[in-house]
Amino acid sequence: MTSQYNFKKITVVPTAAELKEVVLSKTQRKTPTVVHRQYAIGRIRAFYARKIKFLQQTLHDKLTQIINEFPKMEEVHPFYSDLMNILYDRDHYKIALGQMNTSRHLIDGIAREYVRLMKYGDSLYRCKMLKRAALGRMVKLLKRNKSSFDYLEQVRQHLSRLPSIDPGTRTLILCGFPNVGKSSFINNVTRADVEVQPYAFTTKALYVGHLDYKLLRWQVIDTPGILDQPLEDRNTIEMQAVTALAHLKAAILFMMDVSEQCDRSIEEQLHLFESIRPLFANKPVIVGLNKVDIMRRGDLPQEKAELLAKLEREGIPIVETSTVTKEGVIALRDKACDELLAQRVEAKLQAKKIVVSDDSILNRVFVAYPTPRDEKVRAAFIPPGVALKRAKRMAEAERADMEVDDDEATVPNNSAFRDENTRRLEREIELELEDNYILDLKKHYLLKNPEEKYDVIPEIWEGHNLADFVDPEIQKKLEALLHEEELLEKAGEYESDLDSDDDETKEKMKLALQIREKEKLLTLESQLTKSKAGRSGSRVISRKRDRSMSRLEEELGDLGVEIDVKRMKNLQGQCAKPQIGKKMKIGHSLKNQPKQAPPRDEQAMPDVEKRVKAKKMREKAIRSLKREARKGEADRHVFDLKPKHLFSGKRKQGKTDRR
Amino acid sequence: MPQNEHIELHRKRHGRRLDYEERLRKKQARAVHDRSQMAKKLRGHKAKLYHKKRYSEKVEMRKLLKKHEEKEQKSTIETPDQGAVPTYLLDRQQQTSGSVLSNMIKEKRKQKAGKYQVPIPQVRAVSDAEAFKVVKTGKTKRKGWKRMVTKVTFVGESFTRKPAKFERFIRPMGLRFNKAHVTHPELQTTFCLPIVGVKKNPSSQMYTSLGVITKGTIIEVNVSELGMVTQGGKVVWGKFAQVTNNPENDGCINAVLLI
Repeated sequence: MTSQYNFKKITVVPTAAELKEVVLSKTQRKTPTVVHRQYAIGRIRAFYARKIKFLQQTLHDKLTQIINEFPKMEEVHPFYSDLMNILYDRDHYKIALGQMNTSRHLIDGIAREYVRLMKYGDSLYRCKMLKRAALGRMVKLLKRNKSSFDYLEQVRQHLSRLPSIDPGTRTLILCGFPNVGKSSFINNVTRADVEVQPYAFTTKALYVGHLDYKLLRWQVIDTPGILDQPLEDRNTIEMQAVTALAHLKAAILFMMDVSEQCDRSIEEQLHLFESIRPLFANKPVIVGLNKVDIMRRGDLPQEKAELLAKLEREGIPIVETSTVTKEGVIALRDKACDELLAQRVEAKLQAKKIVVSDDSILNRVFVAYPTPRDEKVRAAFIPPGVALKRAKRMAEAERADMEVDDDEATVPNNSAFRDENTRRLEREIELELEDNYILDLKKHYLLKNPEEKYDVIPEIWEGHNLADFVDPEIQKKLEALLHEEELLEKAGEYESDLDSDDDETKEKMKLALQIREKEKLLTLESQLTKSKAGRSGSRVISRKRDRSMSRLEEELGDLGVEIDVKRMKNLQGQCAKPQIGKKMKIGHSLKNQPKQAPPRDEQAMPDVEKRVKAKKMREKAIRSLKREARKGEADRHVFDLKPKHLFSGKRKQGKTDRR
Repeated sequence: MPQNEHIELHRKRHGRRLDYEERLRKKQARAVHDRSQMAKKLRGHKAKLYHKKRYSEKVEMRKLLKKHEEKEQKSTIETPDQGAVPTYLLDRQQQTSGSVLSNMIKEKRKQKAGKYQVPIPQVRAVSDAEAFKVVKTGKTKRKGWKRMVTKVTFVGESFTRKPAKFERFIRPMGLRFNKAHVTHPELQTTFCLPIVGVKKNPSSQMYTSLGVITKGTIIEVNVSELGMVTQGGKVVWGKFAQVTNNPENDGCINAVLLI
């Protein structure tokens, strides 16, 4: 897991002047720019109100982004909160963000006020001036907070360069006087690459390195050196170290310089240790005695050695190291890691115990038990066979437990369910014999003479296929079948033409023949008409032609229906008259029909001869057009697609359809 | 140096590239030409902004140059004749440095300006047609006796409306203001003060009575916040101020305190 405290993603805070340029030009770009005096006043007002609102929204978004992206002092880990307090000053930080918030609020207010005033703008000029004032006032607020913008930008840059320290993970913290070898140590155990110089306060900030130990990742923090002085006298550099010591749950490596080359005597160093000891409460502390390549611990004068021994008696381990010769460096690291790991594991276990005793989850689970309605025991039904088996299995298991010491794994798991009566599975045998096992399928054959089990069976024997003689009663079955057939033949089952002589049947057959012929004729006819249909006139006309009295008579006669002429009197009369309308009307007397005008072609040319001639001429005229399916005279025709008077000359306001 | 300053770390370890100084010098030398190219190419709004900025920069530069020149400049002052002077003093002329001189002139100019300046001596008259909009009334909107004020107004707290039927002038709520940004001419500071009343609108007596505030109007403001005291020792709470902007166009009232 990467650290949840990543301050690298904060977007750049622009300076007030930059922000002003950005938002104003954005407003200019993203809102309409053309407005005219003669527009309706409502439109002009809306035009300018939109600009005001747009600027307000843009600024609001920008400021909100700044406010939201900067970490809140109260919400981050106390370590970071304190570090930020030291580096950037909590009050200053809060005031800067507060100013952002206030100006956002004020900008909203200004925009609201001016949009309201815009309602009373009665000319373009006035609306424009109001817009100008509004934009100016909003932007002026930014200018007033110029210093906050600058400050926040600096904070952002610094925050993004802070080492990403994860406050929750396994951590080793190096601390001690300046120039005792903290940075050299971290350079030895990690790849942090911290600058090492032979003067005090080379390291001015916290540095982080990572190392792998026991397949775990460990975080090592190098802190600036701290001097032995009261807390209020400490400067910013030292305070960073103190913050790390105070807030991080970590193993503390207190580095000391035995050789006293850092201008601090061992007594002084131990005094510092004592004075910052409250910060080490509940944390594993190890003292690293550095620079043993210059002077060994054994070479120390009596009183100084005694001081160290006293420290050791208090339970604080001392490891001799030398970052130059790498002696004891790894030992110190391992010791610190082990102690911290032990502590963390213990803490975790305790935490778990608390959870269990708390019954936090079990408390929430509800198990329902039905209330007993009488004294009767209603136990679950277990078949006796199952019960027996179960008991056996239990006994077996007990026995197995006893034997487990001397002989493991010889008893396969499922042998518990078997006894001497159950047949052994082939698989078991296979497991037992291993390579010697041969699959024998004939073993369990059930034969009359068990000794014949393994006899070889030929496929053909004495010229017969053995497979044919598998059924011993096959001959008998065949005989029965033949006999049945014979009987059937005798009973006359297979004689043909049972009832063809019947009169009725003959007639039916004849009729059927007729129908079939008729059908054939009809299909032929329809095929002919179909092929003709393309050429012939309209559907209505062709239909008109086939409906005639004589045809009806003929057709019905063919079908064997006699038509009584008297009964069809009406039809006859109708037939005699010229066709009127579309349908042949049956059942209505002519008198009831309203008088209809003759068709219009007839109306136009009452003379039949002329009409026929005209029709012929017309047909002749359109023949070629029809053949090529071209546009005829009945089709829509635009005589002039681009009339000259509409496409020449200037086209100004409202002159699209006349010029 | 914090841990993640990679550029600086590299610079510290390996130094800058060898031709760094040379390149920097050339870049700086080219900058002037680049700027002039840009100034020529810019068009429209951007050009306006750029030239304005450039102009102010130049003004700053010139001022700075002048200041330096003044420092170096030496001149003599003719002292008025004080009668006979001993010979050993005949040659002596008082020397002043230029900066002192110019400062004195500036001071004088300022004082003079203060003395004769009246905030706005002349005001453009506001016609009725400009200040009032005719409101059509009646069922068929035929009557036109009602007026709506289109300028910013001040309406006192004690004002009570007449019945709408008889109300000839409408002063819209959105255009009623009761605070003004008043500048103290001597302190050169501005305060947002509550308006007490409209003393005089130079355009017309009617405007005064209606409380219409236009440019040049004299208003009375409540200065109790400023803690001004009369010569007799009484606390002054009301003072006159003259409006210096067109409030209906700016959406706020700016005024100068009359002392």
